[in-house]
Amino acid sequence: MVKVIHEAEFGQVKECAAAVIDFSATWCGPCKMLAPILEKISEEMNGKIEFFKADVDENPNLARQFAIQSIPALIFLKSGEEVGREIGFKPEAAVKSALQRLFG
Amino acid sequence: MNVGDAFKKIIIVRETASPWYTEEGVLIMSIYDFLLDRNSLEYQKSRARRGIPTGRTDCVKQNGRRNPMSRYDIAIIGTGPAGLEAALTAKARNKNILLIGSADLSAKVTKAHTIQNYLGLSNVSGREMQEAFLKQIESAGIKITDEQAKNIYAMGDYFVIQTGEIDSMVEAETLILATGLSQTKGLPGEDQFLGKGVSYCATCDAALFRGKKTAVIGYAPREENEADFLSELASEVLYFPQYAGEVRTAPTVKVIREKPVGILGDLSARTLETDGGEYEVDGIFILRDNIAPDKLVPGLELDAGHVKVTPQMETNIPGCFAAGDITGPPYQYIKAAGQGNVAALAAVNYLAAKRKE
Repeated sequence: MVKVIHEAEFGQVKECAAAVIDFSATWCGPCKMLAPILEKISEEMNGKIEFFKADVDENPNLARQFAIQSIPALIFLKSGEEVGREIGFKPEAAVKSALQRLFG
Repeated sequence: MNVGDAFKKIIIVRETASPWYTEEGVLIMSIYDFLLDRNSLEYQKSRARRGIPTGRTDCVKQNGRRNPMSRYDIAIIGTGPAGLEAALTAKARNKNILLIGSADLSAKVTKAHTIQNYLGLSNVSGREMQEAFLKQIESAGIKITDEQAKNIYAMGDYFVIQTGEIDSMVEAETLILATGLSQTKGLPGEDQFLGKGVSYCATCDAALFRGKKTAVIGYAPREENEADFLSELASEVLYFPQYAGEVRTAPTVKVIREKPVGILGDLSARTLETDGGEYEVDGIFILRDNIAPDKLVPGLELDAGHVKVTPQMETNIPGCFAAGDITGPPYQYIKAAGQGNVAALAAVNYLAAKRKE
């Protein structure tokens, strides 16, 4: 399951050994398309990798912290440290290969 | 709202969530689905009732009428020889098809002087070929949806095709790309700033530029509508027509007859450079007839600018096929048609194998 987070809850992400934050917005078409793909992958990962979702309009500071310029943006983190990012809509296979590459 | 007894409670959530049912009988669904279509509540309820736990966000619209249950077997993008032949073949195999592209057919066909090597049509002009094609399409009962695919999303076992605003989406199980030769190289900076201030679809991304200053580069008169649409949201719209002839835009749209030469910026696009000057803007819309295939379908693999295909016209994305000039040279009408035929049959086989599973 992809958990919706807000700025104040970012501590949760830091605690995860492997996490993905999906920066998105309500008006963004590609974000809307990416959402069910992430939902599906998160189910398959079954907690091995935690998935979060942050709305850039509601979380401007978090978006600035990660220098989000384009959405959807997937930020891959190990214990809160960014290890990679993917910008724009990606098909399932591409998201999975990024996860494999970054988290093994 | 009237809610059936079985549904004691409905929670509408802000995020783009699949509708689901809790054990307590609470239906949870996305506000977007609800706002896009009030009837979606009924639809989601029926989905949940039928035990479809992880549905998807449906937004299928045809001719302004929403039809959430329909998903085409095959969507064919492009109305040149490849797309038309694919449509004829798929239709003959009794598939539910959607053919998107110019209703006047490919300009490459209609503008041709004489075509000498198309079997069955000897020494025809482009116009004559267009007429012959249209006649055959019509007699096969195939309709052309006269729109342009702006974004296509590979969702796994289906595709979503966006032709304009966020709710103008249709779904198909398989996809045949036949959009022809993509434009030569983009503007300097175009790739770098795509999604960072550069967009290929005004109706899709207009909300991003509410109250901001934008430039629209239009390569065909129909893009004037996009500029007008944008002018309702943006503070300023500069329109750069890249074609001859009269421009009819809303009075608030400023028409500048200059040729763009590049895009500059830092983290996002800031400046449009033209042969006549520089324009500071927040967003730049580049509206061409032809969107590069890997931009149109994110994740699509190219080889030297052409879509990489197998002899069965399969791309690297399962269920996505390509045919015609988009796959590379030789750029011949008869080859394009032949590939369209192969792509359609491959799509038919793919569907059959999938349904056997």
